[in-house]
Amino acid sequence: MATQLPEWAALSPVLALALTGLALLLVDTINPNSRSNTSSAVVAVLGSLASLGAATWFLLAGTGQEGTGGAITLFADAIVVDGLALFFTVVFAVVTALVVVAAHDYLADVDSPGEFYSMVLFAATGMSLMASANSLAVAFVALEMASLPSYALVTFLKKNKGSVEAGLKYFLVGAVSSAVFVFGISLVYAATGSLLLSDVAAGLTSGDAPVGVAGIGVLMVLGGFAYKTASVPFHFWAPEAYEGAPAPVSAFLSSASKAAGFALAFRVFTEGFALGTELVAGVDWALAFGIVAVLTMTLGNFAAAVQENVKRMLAYSSIGHAGYALIGLAAISVGGTHNGDVMGAAMAHLLVYGFMNTGAFLFIALAETWGVGKTFEDYNGLATKAPMASLAMTVFMFSLAGLPPLGGFFSKYFLFMGAIFNGFWWLAAVGALNSVLSLYYYSRVVKALWLEDPAGDLDAVDSRPTALYVAIIFAAVGTVLVLPGFGPVIESAQAAANALFA
Amino acid sequence: MNDWIAIGALAVVGLAIPLGMMAVSALLRPSVPEQGKRTVYESGEVPTGTARIRFNIQYYMVALLFLVFDIETVLLFPWVTIYRPALEQGVPLLDVLWPMLTFVGILAVGLVWAWRNGAVQWTSSPRATARKTERETES
Repeated sequence: MATQLPEWAALSPVLALALTGLALLLVDTINPNSRSNTSSAVVAVLGSLASLGAATWFLLAGTGQEGTGGAITLFADAIVVDGLALFFTVVFAVVTALVVVAAHDYLADVDSPGEFYSMVLFAATGMSLMASANSLAVAFVALEMASLPSYALVTFLKKNKGSVEAGLKYFLVGAVSSAVFVFGISLVYAATGSLLLSDVAAGLTSGDAPVGVAGIGVLMVLGGFAYKTASVPFHFWAPEAYEGAPAPVSAFLSSASKAAGFALAFRVFTEGFALGTELVAGVDWALAFGIVAVLTMTLGNFAAAVQENVKRMLAYSSIGHAGYALIGLAAISVGGTHNGDVMGAAMAHLLVYGFMNTGAFLFIALAETWGVGKTFEDYNGLATKAPMASLAMTVFMFSLAGLPPLGGFFSKYFLFMGAIFNGFWWLAAVGALNSVLSLYYYSRVVKALWLEDPAGDLDAVDSRPTALYVAIIFAAVGTVLVLPGFGPVIESAQAAANALFA
Repeated sequence: MNDWIAIGALAVVGLAIPLGMMAVSALLRPSVPEQGKRTVYESGEVPTGTARIRFNIQYYMVALLFLVFDIETVLLFPWVTIYRPALEQGVPLLDVLWPMLTFVGILAVGLVWAWRNGAVQWTSSPRATARKTERETES
């Protein structure tokens, strides 16, 4: 390269998101009374696309990876830009763009849409900071930065009782979990004397750290991540929050926010509490994650199977998918040869999940704007009126279930294979069994859409919210296009993950 | 001698003086029980109503905005302490200033947004005003 960008430019994907959010607030400040839904949405989409472009470019150019001199650290090592950070920033930027496009139609009759878009972008900024946090202090601040706008977004429909109730529950559980998380950080700090992940790892392996304090700290940090990723001990906010929130916000939370939790968990546990040659502080956290993963996917899938409300079903299915992604941390063993591969597969799964799950929730948003109802029966015969959207929803459902020709199959396949290669065949077996079960409730949606006769009057379905359609079709195309493009995706994900174990 | 002994002695004396004064006056004073001494305000003002009243929700917005700037000052303290030493050691003025300016600038964007969107505007509630006049005419 002829010219070398300055080091801070490595943060430009994050800065693009933050500056767009501020710009939206400024426009709203100068002109608070004009309803500028379209222009705000366009600015927000451009900002997230700029962030996506920068992150993809850096990822392809090898910024912060081994080929170009390793990870770039900024602000006294507090922030690191490497393959993992850039990969997850791509996921967040994609989901943000999809959600913003869809929200344009969903918010057509809301008073102040500008603040919605700016909060989405601020939350996305927090998430991409979570992916590049190299210090536990930055990790906590970034987690709060992603969470606080999320609470407000869930309650965005201020006059809707469900939305407000969901937001309050989400906020209370979030506050408790944040307290647990920050207490865990303080214990780890007390035991090791540092917040920087590399120093924490050095302190834990030196043998000087008090085992009890450090062990409890590691477990409490694990609890904090369980909240952010909606995993079992802290999962119960998820169905309420996803069901009550406006559907684009549910899409945002269940895809991007969950991926952010995993991004941070991957880095903190592999760098900070690394399973080097022996157990960290007497805590076999991989086993703890294994238990959480099995419980999470089993509970999520069984609960999803008995739901009548489609949005609630998707919420539980999203808990189940958190269980699959947790395999990426659970199937790591001391000195395992495929540690990086299985974690990379989990990252690739989260990328594919970002497309298919966002798309599925956006279809719910479409159904909500049509006003057809919430249960499986209400979706009967929608395909006769809206074949394109129904086809896209079918793609999402089968991809979420992991049927062979779609993106969800490949990411699950690599994930389970990685777990088997690393000696965790039982995790792969539980995951595969759960995928079979999930096919049952996903195909119920497809059956309702295509095979059943319309139960009621579907006249409202004639409206065609353009932006929502565009977002749904784009998500479907993304889910399908991952097929030819899966090689590069899994390669960059596994390269990024392997760099953490190096 | 350990410094803490002096501090401990100070604490003992600090506790002994008020306790001693209260004990001495309890021994010396005559006991005159009287109703007026049991009222909430010894000035003789009789309280009316309960302490559980509704107050305007807009105090909440003011409190939130206050909190933001309260924390801002706390976060600016570390910057202030390194400001002069950094300048004396030859760090360019701009390099020292921009982190603070960015931080305050971001907060200012938020404040001005809240201001323009009416967060600090004291809107009056017609229903509450009507109820208040009703209560005042009754009494």
